[in-house]
Amino acid sequence: MKTSPRRAVNIAIALTMFAVSTLVFLERTHADSKPSVQLSVDQATPREVDDTVQQAIMRDYASAWQALVSALNNNNAGALSDNFVGFAQDNLLHRIQDQQQAGLKTRIVDRGHKLEALFYSTDGAAIELRDTATLDAEILEGNTVIHSDRAQVRFYVVMTGAEDRWKVRVLGAGEADVLQSR
Amino acid sequence: MRNPRFLVLMSLSCLLASASARAGELRLPGSAVAGQRLTIATSGDGEATVYLVGPSQVLKRQIRLGAEIQIKAEELRSAGRWVAILREGGNSSSQVFFVRPGRPENLSFLARPSRVPVARPGAISGIAFVFDQYENLVLQPTPVKFSLSVEGTGASQSVTSKNGVAWISSSSARKAGAAQFVAATSDVSVRRVVQQVASDPCNLRMRVVERNNNATVVETDPIRDCTGNPVPDGTIVTFTQTDSSGRSTVDARIKRGIARAGLPPASNALITVASGVVLGNELHVGSGQ
Repeated sequence: MKTSPRRAVNIAIALTMFAVSTLVFLERTHADSKPSVQLSVDQATPREVDDTVQQAIMRDYASAWQALVSALNNNNAGALSDNFVGFAQDNLLHRIQDQQQAGLKTRIVDRGHKLEALFYSTDGAAIELRDTATLDAEILEGNTVIHSDRAQVRFYVVMTGAEDRWKVRVLGAGEADVLQSR
Repeated sequence: MRNPRFLVLMSLSCLLASASARAGELRLPGSAVAGQRLTIATSGDGEATVYLVGPSQVLKRQIRLGAEIQIKAEELRSAGRWVAILREGGNSSSQVFFVRPGRPENLSFLARPSRVPVARPGAISGIAFVFDQYENLVLQPTPVKFSLSVEGTGASQSVTSKNGVAWISSSSARKAGAAQFVAATSDVSVRRVVQQVASDPCNLRMRVVERNNNATVVETDPIRDCTGNPVPDGTIVTFTQTDSSGRSTVDARIKRGIARAGLPPASNALITVASGVVLGNELHVGSGQ
């Protein structure tokens, strides 16, 4: 049952490669999947947010972030129009154009969102949310990571009802957003 | 043996110290505002690349370390969390900074509905989102004045925005017409038109204007809502005649303010009139009536 040194090295290499590829796969899977979204509606005025709308907001906001992460990672705005509209869409398109011109990409691992509904219009057409998002972000120049951090970032979000879903109309960041970074 | 080692260590320390003294560094200001000029001081020697990555833009600059980086007011458009990255050779260092929104210069105004009956409590809603020049949501409380008027008469109300949004709920006026619904801050106003239309008919009354062997012709008085606005032409008015042979119904449209219908001749019948959910008077027609 003796194992030769060369065989041991081969096994170690194989195990390392398996572990690395598994980690990469898990990381990619995480990046490509819908993030977790929690919603609190206790503060919403002037109208209460009913259960159906709550479910729709969580579903569509998660979908919007999935599209955003993919767009910034691939510098491809293709999926944005399904989830963003107005200023939010314009701003993301600018960011992607600028990234392309500068030769950058942004890789985000989305660790989840805690939403608080602040305003829900009487006619049910618009909702404003405060999002505390936990994001791991890497900025890449070509394939070189030139910045990385994990931060809790606060966003102010306006979503409006569209044909079959809620779309993000405003995605603005407030002051003193970062609660931690590395 | 100790002296040469000591000298080598000292030399290495000096080399490292001089290298670190020349390493580039960005000195970011404590606060930055969208739409205002930004100056970033740098230290170090040599050439470097700086990336400024904001929520909706990326700026790239080739710089000489030691000189200031000037970002023009019109270049700094995006409020929120920015990352400043210094690329020097194969090394990079980064810092996070924040850009605040500028002062309120834009309103996004949602007015609902576009068409509403008069004198309807809480029927009109106005929501104003407050933005700066570059469409960043302004979170600072900002007074927004809402006014709703028809032909110069109306009311206004000032509301302070909270988390970037100000809203009101208002009753429609008593007078029909195109209402001007305006949301305004000190620098900008946005106008929407809400068409206020007559409400349901009020005191719907009819009378027989002609009766012969062929038909009984009935006609309403001019049809108005409860605040005196004429109900629009084209609105359906239903006349129903019931007699011993059954029921006859005629849907007539209001034309020039009144509705008119010809019903089958009957010796003894009850005629009713209605429009939408509003019932009018009843008429008994028969011998001698």
